[in-house]
Amino acid sequence: MQIQLADFALMMPEIATAILAIGLLIVGLVVPREQAKGISFLTVAGLVGIWLLNFLYWHENASLFGGIYIVDPYTVFFRFLFLTAAIIVALAAKDYVNTLERNQGEFYALLVAATLGMMILAGAGDLVTLYIGLELMTITFVILVGYQKKEAKSSEAGVKYVILGAMSSAVLLYGLSLVFGFTGTTIIADMVPRLTLSGASPLLLLGIVFLVAGFGFKVSAVPFHMWSPDIYEGAPTPVTAFLAVASKAAGLAAFVRVFLIALPELQPYWITIVVVLTAITVVVGNLIAIPQSNIKRMLAFSSVAQAGYILFGLVAFSSLGVGALLFHSILYVFANIGAFAVAIVVKNSTGSDEIKDYSGLAQTSPFLAAVMLLCLLSLAGIPPVAGFVSKFYLFMAVIEKGMVWLAFVGIMMSMVSVYYYLIVAKAMYLGTPNREAKPISVSASTQIALVICLVAVIFFGVYPTPLLDLAMNVGYSFFPF
Amino acid sequence: MENLFVNISGALRGWFTGMGLPPMAVEAIMALVFLVAILAFVLLNVVYLVYLERKLSAYMQQRLGPNRVGPRGLFQTLLDVLKLFGKEDIIPNAADRWVFRLAAILVMVPAIMAFAVVPFGQGMIAVDLNIGIFYFVAVSSTATIAFLMAGWGSNNKWALLGGMRTVAQMVSYELPMVLSLLGVVMLAGSLRISDIMAAQKTVWFVVLQPVAFLIYLVASTAELNRQPFDLPEGEQELTAGPFTEYSGMRYALFFLAEYTNMIAVSAIAATLFLGGPQGPWLPSWLWFVIKVYVMIGIYMWFRWTFPRIRMDHLLAFNWKFLVPLSLANVLVTGIGLEIYKWFQTIRW
Amino acid sequence: MVSPLVFWIVAGITIIAALAVVNLTNLIHSALWLIVAFVGVAITYLILEAEFLAAVQIIVYAGAIAILIVFGVMLTRRGDIRESNLFNNYRLAGGLISLGLMATIVTMVVKTQWAIDVAAVPANSVGLLAQNLLGQFVIPFEIAAMLLLVALVGAIIIAKEVRD
Repeated sequence: MQIQLADFALMMPEIATAILAIGLLIVGLVVPREQAKGISFLTVAGLVGIWLLNFLYWHENASLFGGIYIVDPYTVFFRFLFLTAAIIVALAAKDYVNTLERNQGEFYALLVAATLGMMILAGAGDLVTLYIGLELMTITFVILVGYQKKEAKSSEAGVKYVILGAMSSAVLLYGLSLVFGFTGTTIIADMVPRLTLSGASPLLLLGIVFLVAGFGFKVSAVPFHMWSPDIYEGAPTPVTAFLAVASKAAGLAAFVRVFLIALPELQPYWITIVVVLTAITVVVGNLIAIPQSNIKRMLAFSSVAQAGYILFGLVAFSSLGVGALLFHSILYVFANIGAFAVAIVVKNSTGSDEIKDYSGLAQTSPFLAAVMLLCLLSLAGIPPVAGFVSKFYLFMAVIEKGMVWLAFVGIMMSMVSVYYYLIVAKAMYLGTPNREAKPISVSASTQIALVICLVAVIFFGVYPTPLLDLAMNVGYSFFPF
Repeated sequence: MENLFVNISGALRGWFTGMGLPPMAVEAIMALVFLVAILAFVLLNVVYLVYLERKLSAYMQQRLGPNRVGPRGLFQTLLDVLKLFGKEDIIPNAADRWVFRLAAILVMVPAIMAFAVVPFGQGMIAVDLNIGIFYFVAVSSTATIAFLMAGWGSNNKWALLGGMRTVAQMVSYELPMVLSLLGVVMLAGSLRISDIMAAQKTVWFVVLQPVAFLIYLVASTAELNRQPFDLPEGEQELTAGPFTEYSGMRYALFFLAEYTNMIAVSAIAATLFLGGPQGPWLPSWLWFVIKVYVMIGIYMWFRWTFPRIRMDHLLAFNWKFLVPLSLANVLVTGIGLEIYKWFQTIRW
Repeated sequence: MVSPLVFWIVAGITIIAALAVVNLTNLIHSALWLIVAFVGVAITYLILEAEFLAAVQIIVYAGAIAILIVFGVMLTRRGDIRESNLFNNYRLAGGLISLGLMATIVTMVVKTQWAIDVAAVPANSVGLLAQNLLGQFVIPFEIAAMLLLVALVGAIIIAKEVRD
């Protein structure tokens, strides 16, 4: 098969991301330490450039290299999502990176490399590409999680992530190999005709179980969530933000593509597993989040619960579901990274991640407290802010399919989540600040990141229509049922 | 003369088939015959390679070398072998017994296996695999383990240090060696040994790939653990490295393996860079032996010329010079190939 | 065509070696048995006429065991190497779960109707492999290169000592 240059043209954002990662690596080596601060600007500028470049591909719907890679609105949407997350994280990470003694350039290079892995994962049209993209993302995160070598917790988190990540990758790979062994092709689009021909077989079902487990780990669905709290707590906070948001979305993107495109024929078989997984994820994630006293652990469990909500979109098995899933994912990016960005600032200034140390934050730093509050409200799904709309559509999607009980569980648990989100709000607004607490100074780049999150959370809450229509269109073109 | 060995093998095959054996059994017996022939060739050569090395080194240092046993000392190494046979086989009490014992045997396995793809003459390759040269690389990559087993199994500080150094050195230098072979493979367009030989009909690859040849020469010296890269043994520092605790026949096996590896590496160099068993007037197998001996001569010359390199220099030289150089060589070869193709398409 | 008997013998040896890896208490012995298991897998590839893959299996896995042993030696804190690869308290539970999983998989494998491809392996499989890797599968190939670069950088970042 001949390679067509036009195929590469459609992959320009990925290629540009790869070049940016390598370029940052080189710049990080060449530039002297005192001037290393400029690397963050370079990163953000590069990412914004790729973000803009991505607009060229909105109306593409192409299958490249004979189905190996797919550029459709779904891929483009996720490219936007990952790039947005990467930009905000890169902005918010600047203060943290400046505290590092060395490897500052490498931090950004790895951040961009992880973004590349996610983009590949979302666009992969065959299982080999999917797996390689997944590994690129996972390995990069292993390094980033263990970046703070002087802190035992960070190293511990790195070791845990490498072991558990390898384990889950092995499970996923075994599932992929079983699916490949049965269908005789790694290309997702080619599987459907073969499966219609042969129907379900015991081995294929086993493969699906392994796939659910493997993807479940990547999106940290219960009972495969055990890794996330420890690793979220130990990792440097910017990395945690990126891990909690973007890597989860990437896992989800591949999850949805494999199950909706390759295995729709077997929907009756896998839907049960996924429904159960979704329900317990929402319940357990929210319940365990309640007693947490560390903000990163609390956000970790809340992100487990969020993964559950997002999975509603897959359970719904409809274009409405996919649209709502995409919509919620992107709002989740803003809300969660916003919350983490505040946590980064507070940690940098007070050195603590405990919720009790947020006491009186509204008096010392009202802006930070406001961002935190609105982001948390968005995560909880309280009406004026964005999270409400997307959750509403997710619940609607499952109700449409007759699973009222699941929507009911979701709504119940949203109520529960309000409780633990408001614990933080209570500490910030009703608590009294420490006597020696001073207003926290926020650097310009972090301020930009915070403002982006704040504006997004409010704007899309008040006026969600354009983004919602966009997500719904993408969902419809991806899965027109 | 040219087809002497090919005819012998053909006659043997005919004889076995004539005895009414099934084809599979004939193949198995022929494989055994090849193995025995290779072993005989290797063992005979090793005995006299040791002699050659001692003589060469002596002349380089203005000495006479062995000259007492037999005419010009020719029987010296033969008697040395007999002496080693007679020595007691000592296994230290604290040694990891099975690992210690196995290491001495395993060290010979990759050394002998590499000869399966060596072309001793026209049509004289034991197995002409379609992954030929890659097979050689794969087999020789496992040689490290035996050294490490010896170093670990001896339960001796020097031996363990030697074993660790072997790993660091051999694993590192494998990279430029493989990459330098890649240049040749790109020119030949095949991994099969007979194809690579055929591609050198007009011009030897040493002319087209001089950089690759030099890299191969350096890297293979390191793979052989010979001076100036003999850190794993380093007599002055580690007594004898992984072999410190070995005696008698087991020690002889390590010795044998080193020289066997040297023949194998020289044979691959002769095949890939020096045109293999091709040349005018003389029969192909004789040409091959001559080329192999030229290569061996170079390795021996190295040994008595260069002082030992320091450990950190050893690794820095590899990772910061040889590996980038060999990568650049691959790149330049690729560009050169494209230019060559482009020239061929032009109608003059 | 190789007789199925060869496969069963090789498979048996591979499994025994793998069991030895898990059950031996000496880390070094475990690592050495792992070589046997890998070589067994390589021979299985040979039976399937995938020579290139077999060579890769040897060079990448069996060859790299040496590195594994070196790390085993350097990173094992335990004084006695003979007790460096012990089980924890979940030996029984782990064994039972593994057996259950194996039973499930075996049942599923036996029950499945396999599509068996009897087409001959192409003669120049290495060339085809190269064309596929740098043709249709060029994207995963390049991403794998990126992955290796990241791993290399990460190894240096993580392994470099921390100065106070």
